[in-house]
Amino acid sequence: MNETMIHCQAVSKSYKKGNTLVTPLESLDLEVPAGEFLALMGPSGSGKTTLLNLLSGIDSPSSGKLVIHGTELSGLSRRDLTAWRARNVGYIFQLYHLIPVLTAFENVELPLLLSPLSKRDRHARVVAALDLVSLTDRMHHTPSELSGGQEQRVAIARALVADPPLLVADEPTGDLDRESANRILELLQQLARRHGKTIVMVTHDARAAAAADRTLHLEKGVLLENP
Amino acid sequence: MNAFFNLLKLAWVQLIRHRVRSSLTILGVASGMFLFTAVETLQRSLAKATAATAADTTLVVYRENRFCPSASRLPEHFADEIRRIDGVREVIPVKILVNNCGASLDVITFRGVPEGLLKKFAPEIEIVAGSEGAWSKRDDAALLGETFAKRRGLKPGDQFDAAGVTVSVAGILRSPFPQDNNVAYVKLPFLQHASKSGLGVVTQFMVRVHAVGSLESVANAIDEQFRSTQFPTDTRPEKAFFAETAAELIELIGFTRWLGVGAVIAVTALVANALLLAVRGRVKENAVLRTLGYPGRAIACLVVGEGGMLGLAGGLFGVGLGAVFLRWQSFTMGNEGQTLAIQPDAFVVTAGISAALLLGVLASLWPAFQAMTQPIVKNLRS
Ligand SMILES: Nc1ncnc2c1ncn2[C@@H]1O[C@H](COP(=O)(O)OP(=O)(O)OP(=O)(O)O)[C@@H](O)[C@H]1O
Ligand SMILES: [Mg+2]
Repeated sequence: MNETMIHCQAVSKSYKKGNTLVTPLESLDLEVPAGEFLALMGPSGSGKTTLLNLLSGIDSPSSGKLVIHGTELSGLSRRDLTAWRARNVGYIFQLYHLIPVLTAFENVELPLLLSPLSKRDRHARVVAALDLVSLTDRMHHTPSELSGGQEQRVAIARALVADPPLLVADEPTGDLDRESANRILELLQQLARRHGKTIVMVTHDARAAAAADRTLHLEKGVLLENP
Repeated sequence: MNAFFNLLKLAWVQLIRHRVRSSLTILGVASGMFLFTAVETLQRSLAKATAATAADTTLVVYRENRFCPSASRLPEHFADEIRRIDGVREVIPVKILVNNCGASLDVITFRGVPEGLLKKFAPEIEIVAGSEGAWSKRDDAALLGETFAKRRGLKPGDQFDAAGVTVSVAGILRSPFPQDNNVAYVKLPFLQHASKSGLGVVTQFMVRVHAVGSLESVANAIDEQFRSTQFPTDTRPEKAFFAETAAELIELIGFTRWLGVGAVIAVTALVANALLLAVRGRVKENAVLRTLGYPGRAIACLVVGEGGMLGLAGGLFGVGLGAVFLRWQSFTMGNEGQTLAIQPDAFVVTAGISAALLLGVLASLWPAFQAMTQPIVKNLRS
């Protein structure tokens, strides 16, 4: 159970902004064992989101080595990276990013539409995912009919439904009241402990970070255990 | 395949849940396709009326250099001479009277023919209502072409008047020759009398030849026969005669093709615009889908699916409405006594609906390309 889920070695990422080169991440090393719930803190602009984007394969590092769940991401073509992402990562956003015209059920079903699963199997998995976030009674509601906390739980179900080993969450409780936030945090804890998911969660909130197994601080492109 | 259908279903859900946007686009497409159907129907009706086919065996003998029926005057007794020409199977003298010699949408054409000769001349003609018996009983009896009767809402027993002539409807006929269906057949002496042209004068002769290949030689022989008389003739196959006599009408109809082209461009631009707006409004949604593992081509498939469905829905609606409207109105265009029934057929309907689908797909290609090449990370941040 002590296999490595995330292995970052000397990972750098820079963006061109006009004439200047912004380098939010510079020569970053990170090791996350499978099943760990890791919290990532740091000031605004420190590159937290950038790191999550690299870990989830929607962006690629400018240099360095990134191995996730045994796959070296820089070796993948765009096409393979997309397919890899569908199987290996669930992304949870601060603002949920549900599709407004789709019901909770349909939103959660999205990641499965491209899989060869039958309709019946898809249905079973969507219901199981919604059950895990205790929202089966709301599955025919659209996002506008749900509270923020419920929307985020739907988003978590969507991230989970394809059963990826890695979940990344970008300030998942940033927009929620204390009570809803706690519920989300408990849920994430449960996903790590009971279901063996590896979770990387970005947060600004020390109380949220306390729910994780370990907290890292990202400052000026460097990761520190204790700031 | 499974994935493809799931994507189409998702595109469908997007369409029906953006109801206002979709309805407006479909309405626009439908208007364009309505126009397209009208134009195509015109073009096809004209093509059918003018394109010579292997089955054509009819010649029209007209007075040389005359174009309006009232100006073409030929002695009725020419019929006997024509009948003796080699290759001629049957001849019928016809007196034509129209309510309007210029171009018109509601032209009424009377054809006066000798009693009993019509059946012999065109045995293909079928009486679908009323009877021939009723036709022979009365002097002012008329047999109406099916299209004409429908357009005017006439049935056996009715009376109507046009061009200063009052007739009573004895029956309705159906003919494989398009012109027959647009006219009213009356008795020759009755029409000669009513039109004050005098007995013994007719407008034209219709001649059926024995063999398809002999149309030209028979026509030449007829014109040769009357060249040095007081009434020189010009003999042409029926469809060529139509094409030449109704030349102005044909030119006008040819011009409408541009309206069809305009309709097609408008439909394409409309769908493309609607989809571009949709794609712009969904940059974040699409970035999320990409994050969930949707490849660019799946996003493109969603957009093209929506375009195709918009096109298809607009096509079904517009073409269907257009076809029903034209069928119900049964317009007949007339020019110089020649009539053209504007009737949509299955080809126009299928072609229109397929064109709409194709246009929808074509119009969505550029928006689809835009959608699939959008940068994920940047759009998630926006
Ligand atoms: N696509 C991009 N193009 C240009 N610059 C970018 C891009 N993405 C990130 N940056 C820059 O990289 C730096 C880090 O951004 P990032 O979003 O990772 O910060 P963050 O730690 O998530 O901040 P916050 O806590 O405010 O969300 C910022 O200076 C940002 O402007
Ligand atoms: Mg951020």
